[in-house]
Amino acid sequence: MAFNGKTVIKDLSFTVAKGEIFGLLGANGSGKTTTIRALLGLYKPTGGELLIDGKKFNPEDSKITVGYLPEERGLYRKENVIDTMMYFGELKGLENPREWSEKFLARVGLADKITEKVEKLSGGQQQKIQLGITIMNEPKLLILDEPTKGFDPMNRRLLMEIIEELHKKGTSIIMITHYMDEVERLCDRALLLKDGTARAYGTIEEIKKEFNNKSLDQIFVDIYGESYE
Amino acid sequence: MNKNALKVAKFEIIRQLKKPAFWAATLLIPLMIGVIYFISFISSMSVDTEAHLDENTKIAITDDASIFEPSAPYIINGDKEYGIEMVKNGEVDLYYYIPADFAETKKAEFYHVSEGLDIFNMDGEILKILLSQNSASRVDALDVIALTGSYEIEDHKITTDGSDSNAIGKAIIPILIGATFFFFIALCGNRFLLTVVEEKENRISEMILTSISAKHLIVGKIIAMLVLGLVQIAAIIIPVLFLVFAKRNDAIVAQILSMIEIDPLSIILNILLFSASAVLYAGVCVLVGSMVSTARDASSFISPAIIFMVFPLYFMQMFMTDPNLIVQIFTYFPLSAPISLMLRNIFGTISTPEFCIGIVVVSVSAVVAIRLAVKTFQKNAINFSIVKPKLFKKS
Repeated sequence: MAFNGKTVIKDLSFTVAKGEIFGLLGANGSGKTTTIRALLGLYKPTGGELLIDGKKFNPEDSKITVGYLPEERGLYRKENVIDTMMYFGELKGLENPREWSEKFLARVGLADKITEKVEKLSGGQQQKIQLGITIMNEPKLLILDEPTKGFDPMNRRLLMEIIEELHKKGTSIIMITHYMDEVERLCDRALLLKDGTARAYGTIEEIKKEFNNKSLDQIFVDIYGESYE
Repeated sequence: MNKNALKVAKFEIIRQLKKPAFWAATLLIPLMIGVIYFISFISSMSVDTEAHLDENTKIAITDDASIFEPSAPYIINGDKEYGIEMVKNGEVDLYYYIPADFAETKKAEFYHVSEGLDIFNMDGEILKILLSQNSASRVDALDVIALTGSYEIEDHKITTDGSDSNAIGKAIIPILIGATFFFFIALCGNRFLLTVVEEKENRISEMILTSISAKHLIVGKIIAMLVLGLVQIAAIIIPVLFLVFAKRNDAIVAQILSMIEIDPLSIILNILLFSASAVLYAGVCVLVGSMVSTARDASSFISPAIIFMVFPLYFMQMFMTDPNLIVQIFTYFPLSAPISLMLRNIFGTISTPEFCIGIVVVSVSAVVAIRLAVKTFQKNAINFSIVKPKLFKKS
């Protein structure tokens, strides 16, 4: 994967098994978001293939449902909450998007904000709405880019509950995060990217073993330390 | 039509219809344009209202009032019918008839071939020049009238087969189409730009593009904007139609209605031109919106495109006469073609085959613009600006 002649991802190969939680880790600028964007067809790779269930991703193929909570957060600021959620629900093919949205909003404590304009909500509240939009079609593959960024501890816990619920239902999850405690607690396997190449890849235990049973935090510092010095 | 594109169109239409700003623009912009153009029309009428006697112009006069010396130039022996026949045959360019009762009625008649609206044609006034030259050395009653110019010249525009050319009647539908397109440009341009950059500006692109393809997203938006444009135009036209219907028995309204020439082919061609022009304009706006990241950037890029589109309006007088090279270039240059074709159609200076070629040029350009816009949007959908997003406030 290259931009303006500069290679940002090279020789990267990994798989995410059905139903697992996979951690995609790396320092800022290591190529995590670029990898995900290429997987979703938002960037065209200069070489290689990125497949979901053996096929290139097509947002309108109902057999491959993907939910993506990007790092770049945003919503239709001037619209109200329920209209925004219903719009995405319709695009994602939900039979009754209003009912689903109302239930979700009640669950995340935003039942009274249904008719509120998005721009009137706090950042955390908007993030909850984005999360709802991301998971509303119970995707087979859920990609969360820094999902807890900006969440207070209460909302972080709520998010983790939701992730675990989807995991139990068989959703495969790719999680991009800088919080190593989240990775250790949730992820089955992980990949650490540095300068567009994989520096560690396997189950959490395998990665720890490879780095003399250090904590993931310490492994992260060991791998990326040089570049920060 | 793709289902998702229609869902996008529905969402965009409903959210715009709910906005008070949409309805405010619908009512206020046409009013403002009307006032500005009325003022500029009035001032342009004073640009050149003097008649010019050209040596090459072939003139004939039947003088039943005997004001001219019988030996004066241009005087013919034939009667009015004979003079009109000379105009039809192209033997003369301008024919004037001065009736025997001119001293009482103070009315002369002027006949010339004209298929177009030709509103700045001052050739009728040439008679005044000739009459004042002829009467300068005499002082009878008729000469006083002739010298002071206190008489009317009825302007009769005729076709080569001698029938009344009804230029105004023919121009009414093209004028309505032209005005509608102008309102469309004024009302919809900004919205087209905003709708395209909205996802980028608000950082929604990545999330929405996992639910719908970029192509269907942009197609849905274009459909919505075209529909909204038509809604706004309908909101202006419907009350006007009701008003015309209510006042249909008033003398002026009845006269205008009776003048309207209903030619099915002309109506179809005008509607085709309007549709192709609207899609071309949409394509250009969406293309510009797709290339940039913010509404502010889009506004600065769209200005040259809009200037090119409305450029012919600044040269309106050139479109009233036989088309010169500049007019021909404007007519077939994709961006200026819509308004050029509409102006030439209004002034009757374009033939049907030329008009059809123009419609084809605009239609092909519209298709190319839309395809380019879709491709560019697909490529730049997550080309976010470096400006910090305003969406998330600190909680």
